Amino acid sequence: MPKIINGSLVLAAVFTTIVLVSAHHSTTAEFDVTHKITISGTLTKVDWVNPHIVVFMDGKTEGAWKFESNPPAWFRRVGVSRADFAKAIGQPVTVEGNRAKDGSRYGYLLKITYADGNSLELVPPSSDR
Amino acid sequence: MKLRSALPTLIVLAMAASMAAQSGPVTNIKGGHPDLSGTWLFSIGLPPLAIKKQTNGATSIKGIDASANQGAAPANVPGARPSQPAPVYKPELRAKVKDLADHESKTDEVFYCGKPGTPRIGPPRRIIQMPNEVVFLYEDISGDPYRIIPTDGRPHKTDGNPTYYGDSVGRWEGNTLVVEATNFVDSTWFGEDGYFHSDAMRVTERFWKNGTNLVYQVTVDDPKVLMSPWTMAPRVVKPSTEPLEESPKCTEADAKLLVNDDHHGQR
Repeated sequence: MPKIINGSLVLAAVFTTIVLVSAHHSTTAEFDVTHKITISGTLTKVDWVNPHIVVFMDGKTEGAWKFESNPPAWFRRVGVSRADFAKAIGQPVTVEGNRAKDGSRYGYLLKITYADGNSLELVPPSSDR
Repeated sequence: MKLRSALPTLIVLAMAASMAAQSGPVTNIKGGHPDLSGTWLFSIGLPPLAIKKQTNGATSIKGIDASANQGAAPANVPGARPSQPAPVYKPELRAKVKDLADHESKTDEVFYCGKPGTPRIGPPRRIIQMPNEVVFLYEDISGDPYRIIPTDGRPHKTDGNPTYYGDSVGRWEGNTLVVEATNFVDSTWFGEDGYFHSDAMRVTERFWKNGTNLVYQVTVDDPKVLMSPWTMAPRVVKPSTEPLEESPKCTEADAKLLVNDDHHGQR
C-alpha cells in the first residue's frame, strides 16, 4: 500500500521545480507538475519497457500505485539499470512524483528512496555542471 | 616499379589532403573513401534531465549528452549545405499539417510505439562500411531496425514493397556518402510537427566526417506535398564507446491519461 506520509496523501503546495519534458509526451498533458506527492509502500514490480519504465507499489489500504518515469534509454545513459530498482522488490520504498491529472493512482516518478536511505532522483540538467 | 608501387599511397595521401581541406582532418581511409564505420552517439530525443544518486552518503550527478539530437548552424559545420527551419508545404495542405501537429498525441504513429521511419529515426548508432555496401544499425524506442545499403552503383529496386525505412542506395560524392531512399509507406512523418508525406517522398541523407565526428544532413523532397525540397540542419554526431543494446519492448500506456493534445517531443 502506499503508506501515506503524515497519514494522508501529501500534496506539497510548492511548485515542483522540475518541469519534465518527457521523451514520449508532454508531462503537463498528463501529470500535475505543480504538486509533488510522496507515497510510501512496498515495491512489487519493475517493468523495464519503452516508452517509459513503470514502477509498481503495493498498498494495504490505498491499493496499488504505478509510477512511470523516463525511458529505459535515458536511464541507461545516466548509468541506472533495472537492477537498481529491482533490488528493492519486496522492500519498503518512498516515491516522490507528480500525480496523474485524472486522479488515478498513477504518477511520474521523480525520486525513489530505498530502505537503506540511498536514493535516485531526477534533477535539472544544470545540476551536473 | 617504385613509382608504381608508391602510386596508391600517393593517391590516398592526396585524397586525404583534399578531404582535410573540405571538412577537417579525416583519420581513416577505407577503399579510397573516408571510413564512416563505428559506433555513434545515441541521437534519439531524451528528457533533458540528470540523475542524482545518493549512495551510502555519497552524492553523484550524471546527465546525458544530447548533442547528436540537435541541429547545428550550417555555417559552423564544414561541408554542410544551407538549411531551412521548416518544410514549405503546398498552400492547400498547410491546414492539414497544423491539424496533425495540434493533435499530435492522437495522430502520430510514433506516440503509439510506431516506427519513425527514415529520416525521423535520425543517424544510425552504428555504421559498418564495406567495399560494396554500408550497413546501418539503429536503436529506437520502437525497436532496432537495420538498413543494408548497396554502394556498388545499382539502381533502386523496381519490385519492392513500400517500407518505413525505404529502399536505399548509396554513392560517394567526394568524401560524402550520399544515401537516396525511396518507396516509403505514407503513414510516417518526417518531422514531429505533423510533417506528413506522400508515397513520392525521396530522402537524401549525407554523411561525412569532420575530424573524428560524423556529420549527418538530410534533404526531403516530395513534389506531391512540398513546394520545394527541405534541407534540415546538419547534426554533428560524436563517436561513442557505448555498445548497442537491444531496446526493451514498447507498450504505450499514457494515451488514456492525457488531458490535452500537447506535443510529446520525441524527435
